[in-house]
This record gives sequence, structure tokens and C-alpha cells, in this order.
Amino acid sequence: MAELAKNAAEMSKVHPEDTASPLKEAWRAFCKNRLALAGLGIVIFFIIIAILAPVIAPYSFKEQELTKRLLAPSSEHWFGTDDFGRDIFSRIVYGARISLWVGFFAVLGSAVLGTILGVIAGYYGRWLDTVISRTFDIMLAFPSILLAIAVVAILGPSLQNALIAIAIINIPNFGRLVRSKVLSVKQEEYIMAARAVGMKDSRILIHHILPNSMTPIIVQSTLAIATAIIEAAALGFLGLGAQAPSPEWGKMLADSKQYLVQAPWTLFFPGLAIMLTVLGFNLMGDGLRDVLDPKMKQ
Amino acid sequence: MNKSMRMLLVSILAISMFLVGCSGKTNTATEGENGSASEGGSKKDTLVFARGGDSTSLDPITTTEGETFKVTENIFETLLEYGEQDTTIHPGLAEEWKVSPDNLTYTFKLREGVKFHDGTDFNADAVVYNFERWMNGDADKFPYYTMFGGFKGEEGHVIKEVKAVDEHTVEFVLNRPQAPFLKNLAMSPFGIASPEAVEEQGDNFRSNPVGTGPFKFVEWKQNDRIVLEKNQEYWQDGLPKLNKIIFRVIPENTARLNALSNGEIDLMDGLNNSDEASVTGNSSLQVIERPSMNVGYIGFTVNRKPFDNKLVRQALSHAIDKKSIIDSFYGGKADAAINPMPPSIEGYNESIEDYPYDLEKAKELLAEAGYEDGFEMDLWAMPVARPYMPEGMKVAEVIQESFSKIGVKANIQSVDWATYLEKAAKGDFDAYMLGWTGDNGDPDNFLYTLLDKDSIGSNNYSYYSSDELHDILIEAQTESDQTKRNELYKKAQEIIKEDAPWVPLVHSTPLIAATKDLQGYKPHPTGSEALTHVEFK
Repeated sequence: MAELAKNAAEMSKVHPEDTASPLKEAWRAFCKNRLALAGLGIVIFFIIIAILAPVIAPYSFKEQELTKRLLAPSSEHWFGTDDFGRDIFSRIVYGARISLWVGFFAVLGSAVLGTILGVIAGYYGRWLDTVISRTFDIMLAFPSILLAIAVVAILGPSLQNALIAIAIINIPNFGRLVRSKVLSVKQEEYIMAARAVGMKDSRILIHHILPNSMTPIIVQSTLAIATAIIEAAALGFLGLGAQAPSPEWGKMLADSKQYLVQAPWTLFFPGLAIMLTVLGFNLMGDGLRDVLDPKMKQ
Repeated sequence: MNKSMRMLLVSILAISMFLVGCSGKTNTATEGENGSASEGGSKKDTLVFARGGDSTSLDPITTTEGETFKVTENIFETLLEYGEQDTTIHPGLAEEWKVSPDNLTYTFKLREGVKFHDGTDFNADAVVYNFERWMNGDADKFPYYTMFGGFKGEEGHVIKEVKAVDEHTVEFVLNRPQAPFLKNLAMSPFGIASPEAVEEQGDNFRSNPVGTGPFKFVEWKQNDRIVLEKNQEYWQDGLPKLNKIIFRVIPENTARLNALSNGEIDLMDGLNNSDEASVTGNSSLQVIERPSMNVGYIGFTVNRKPFDNKLVRQALSHAIDKKSIIDSFYGGKADAAINPMPPSIEGYNESIEDYPYDLEKAKELLAEAGYEDGFEMDLWAMPVARPYMPEGMKVAEVIQESFSKIGVKANIQSVDWATYLEKAAKGDFDAYMLGWTGDNGDPDNFLYTLLDKDSIGSNNYSYYSSDELHDILIEAQTESDQTKRNELYKKAQEIIKEDAPWVPLVHSTPLIAATKDLQGYKPHPTGSEALTHVEFK
């Protein structure tokens, strides 16, 4: 993948007219990366499913029909039914809403908070840096899922609290990343120039430092959505995330685990859905990093 | 890749060898088992019985917990015994008994020639010693002794005196008549222990039990195994048939079933209804059903709004489809419950009709109560599998869905089992799922224990208090004419049905799985039984 990006970068050098728009150049490079495109395709596919869930789903996700429990996949129920006689296909379609919603908003939350803290730590340094960085170190010392469980235990189990917990545990990843970026950008000559002409700190931060630290945040966000979805599913599996009758994928797995032998489709499809979305975000994230990371571009 | 795979295999091998080394002791034990089997011809005579939890004590009077009784039933015997699979009264250590006309004096003729496992004689003095020991304790030490109304010196205490008339005759003098007195005597906690061993062991008696039962205690490894061996001097000729019993602990229901299919164990309780098909489909296994004497229910805490309103409770009673629940999560192996006690118990009111599953009627009642728009509530579901409710969470989800159809939003909640019971006793729940397995087959053990106002704070988690019901239940306790008693209990069930502090859900049939060649195992409705007649084909 790195090779491809490198080739793309070299090729773009050959055509000087392209260098005018770095965004366009990145997009072109991205399009050359087939895996990344596939990732983007999967992500868009799931976003469409999530938005159009009521149109796509043939059944309600919560309506039980106990006479039709544990039916194997058929033309009537594409993915079969679960132990309450609910249509698994419909539940997975609605579940896409939950997983994407948790993924986007948890990451948005941690990216915003992480960036603010990272910028403060990186730009002002000194004791502020020490306090913030050491807090991050402490948070990173815990296995992240353990920390999330602790947060949910304090707040009480619900989807919203699971989202908050996932947001909190991802803050240090963003914070550290932004801090190191800010530290290097801060040394650039144009920042010194801005300071020399008497520009205020807040203006320097917003107009110069932040825009120039953006790319790693975007890459990290895409990859973090993938982890966030897994973490939400893990919390749901442990009964600490979404509550019944919510069709959260992790919870669907937990509710059906005893039917592994008897009705494997109750586990296969939610598992597949989790795997595909996570794969999509990971491929897309990798592709983005290849095209956006200057180190890879050289 | 290949190389690392090979490394992985090698290390797995190394680890497993290490583990085998660790469990050397168990291995020799197994060899011993096999050895003894070959000695007695080709017949297998060691039974491995796996269950979900360990016993808390092996001195049965010190606990109320069922896993203890499963073991102690084999070590200790009671004065009277229940029928093989019912709670009728039969001779035990007492051969015969006489009751005085005023129901205050019971005279027991004890079996002669019975010896405790330590070689001392079982006689009238031993019986007196045991009862003196228990009645001088307190509810913390000997919780089940409260079946006799309290302890020595307390107002409610039923037993005035226990005296030895001669070597083999004991007389119980009561303060007031107690209708289920004989049934109480047959309960597992009242197994007669060797006085000498109790004196000698003191507090250690709970891990070194000595009784008169068919099996002798050998060893107890906490949370792993309890080993019993045949009592060669047992007073019944030719019994027990097994030479050795090993009680093993395997917490997960499915893991236990795996152990059974692999032949590691011979008998297991707590079979999931959903796994029944895989056992019946296996030609080397069999399913055994325990006769039902339990009730699983949803209780409403009646001092909390809106459950203080009888109409709301009745409305919700109309909104639960018991039949679907039973078909889906009990494999059809349960009866829909109408009353708080199972039909197998005397005094059950057959003429009461259940609240039918009728959402329209439920909505009407809610509207009448002033909740036409419904309300939001917490529905607490037990986190563990119980014999009366193997899949509590799933049942809760079905009920949540039915309630949502009449506008009641139920949020399912749960917490670990110990906290759950604690919170239930404090009345912290809006509505909760629970159940009860009968101890002695008497209606008092259901109705008074679970729903009388005296039981608030202990087993009456609904905080249901009815003076009318209380008067009837107390009268029934002292009434000795069984027909009159039954009439009282039937009346009591009518009152409870009308007030609807619970929605009785099911009377379940707990499932047990065993190897095909096991025979003579008759599970008892109380949940524990001696394995005296069990043998392998």
C-alpha cells in the first residue's frame, strides 16, 4: 500500500498542475488504492443501510413471534429468526444504526476532547503538559476494555453510557497524537514569524497549529471508529451496553451464544456484520493514512 | 508461519504434560476407581455426580442451601422419611409413631441396631442430644430450625420438650399443635448426627460429618469434589448399591453437559431445556425429570406506585402469555401457574381460574386505574439459572414486549444474585422475578412463608400485607383436621388471586441428565435425595 501511495506521489510530481490542490491529489491517490476503496465502499454500504433501515427491514426489530423461534434462513427470513422469533435480518439492519452511531459519536467526542487537551499540552508545555500527559499515561496503563467496564459500572449499563465510556477511553490516543504534532509544528518558522508579528496565542492555535495538525486526527478517527464499534459490541456482549430489546450486534451475539450448535445463524450474521464494518473502517483508515501521512509521501 | 505453528504445538504439548503432572493425584484416584470396579466383577460401582455449585457446609442444620442437602441426604437420616417421589410420611430412623388426641405429644419408636459411622449407637439419647443442640442455637447458626416456630425460650417455639422414655423411645411434647410437624421432621436439615462426633469435632463437624446414612464421608476439596463411600454397616441389607460417590462442581450448565457426553461424569443436574434434544439424541445418555414442586413468579412490590393499585397488578396479570413462555423457554416442560403453590400440594385450589392473556382487558383495567397512557417501570430479572427459571433474562424480554403492547415500558434490570436477593428483601424493586422450591410439601411452606405479613423482610419480597389472609394462615397452622386446613388454604388462594401481589408464572420440571446405564435414580421434588438405590446396569 505504501508503495502505491509512493508511486502516486511520484506520479503527481510529474504533473505539476496537480500540486495546486493537495486534497485532489490525495483523493486521486486514494482511488488508486483498491483495498482502501473497498473499505470506503463497505462503509458507505452500511451507512446507507443504517439510514434506510425502516425501508429495508422487512420486519420490526422488536416484534416477537414465539411460534417462529430459531427458524433457519429461508426466503421469508433471509438470516433466520432468533430465539424470540424476531427476524435477524431486520435486527442487523437496525443494529447498523446503533453501531455506526456509537462509532461516530464516541470518536467525535474523544477526538474533540483529545485534540483540545493535546493542543494545550503541546503548545503551553510546562506543568500543564506534565499533568495532562501523565493522566494520559495512567489511562493508557489500563487495558482499554477494563477501563470502559469501570466507567459503565459507575454510570450504569446503557447504550449512552457505553458511548461515553468508549469516548473517554479513546481520549489519550488522540491527545498524545495531537500533542506530538503540535510540538513539531510549534517549531516551524511560520509559527515563529506569526509570533514575531505579535499574533495572539488563540489565533496562532486556531489558524496555524490546528489546521496543520489535522491529518493525523482524520486518520486516527477512521481507525478509532473501527475499535469503537468493537468496544461497543464487547460491552453489549457483557450486558453493559445496549439493553433489551435493542438489536445491538454484540448483544445479539451474547443472547444467542447458547444456540451455537442448535441455530448457528443466530451468531453467524451479527458476527459477520461486526467483522465487515470493522474491516471497512480499517481498510479505509489505512488508505487514508497512506495518502495523508507526509512521512509516507516523502 | 510453519515454524511458529510447530512451536505452538510443542508448547501446547509441554503445557499439557505439565498439567497432567499436576493432576497426578486425581489420576491415581481414577485408577483406584477403575480398580475397584474390576474387583466387583465387570460392574461399575462409582458414581460421579456433577452439579453447578459446591455445598456450603456438610452439617445440614447449619444452612438452607440446596447443594448441601444433595450430599448430606446420603450421610444423614431423619426420624421420618418422605415417599420416594412425594412428600408423604414414611418411617425413617423411627419405625413407628403415636400422636396424642390433643396433638401435643408425639411418641416415636426408634429403629434398633442402627449405628453411626463412627461406631456409636443410634438411640433415644442421640435424638434428644440433636434436638437440644438445635433448639439452644439461634437463627444464624441453625436457620431451618425456625420451621419449629423459633428457638428455646422464644414465644413461638413449638417444641416444649424432647425426652428419652427408654433406649429406643423418644417423646416430643409440644407447646401448641403444629399441623406440618411430622412433615417438618422429615426435612433434610433435621438429619440425626452422632453426638460423640459433634462433641469431638466442634465447629469442624461441618466438614467432618458423621451420621447413620448409606454413605460415609471421605473427603471434601472445596469447590472441586466431595467423596463418599459405602457404609458397610448400613442397617438396610444389600444397600446402598454403589461403592463410592463423587460429587463434582462444574459451574456452567453446558460445560457440565460436555463432561457428561465425554464420560467424565455419570449424572448431572441443571440441564438446560434447550439442550434436552441433544441429550435425547445421544444414545448413551438419558434425561430424567425431577417431579415439580416449585413456582416461578413475577412479584410486584405493592407499597410502591403504581403497584399499590390492585387494578394495575391485575392488568399486568392479563398481559403475560404464560403458554408461549413455557413453549419457548421451558421446552413445553412446565405448567402455567395459577396459584402461588403447585397443584401437587394438598389444599391446592382447583376452582380458581387464571387471569387470561387478554391485552384489551389489560388496557381497560389500566385505564380504570387512571393509567390509560401506561407508565414506565423497572423489571428485575435474576442473573442466574434457577430450577424454576432456567432462563430468567429471556422470559423477562418476552414480558417486556407484552407489556409494551399495553403502553407499559419495562426496563429490564439485573444485578449479581446475592445483591438481588438482598435488594428484593428490602423492597427496592418495582417488579421482580423469583421462585421457590417447596421444602416439605406443605401449603404453609408456600403461602405463609412467601406471602404472609409476618414474612415481610424475609421471603415476602412483595411487601404484601393482608390481615384477612394472615388470620386464615395462622388458623391453618394450628388446625389439625386436614380437610378443614385444606379449606382454609383454598380460601387463602382466592384472596391472593384477587389481590394479585404476584403473577405466578410456571411450575417447572427441572431436568437431569445421566448416562444410559444408570438406573434406580429417583429425583425427589424437594431437590435432594439419597442415592441409596442407584446402580449401573
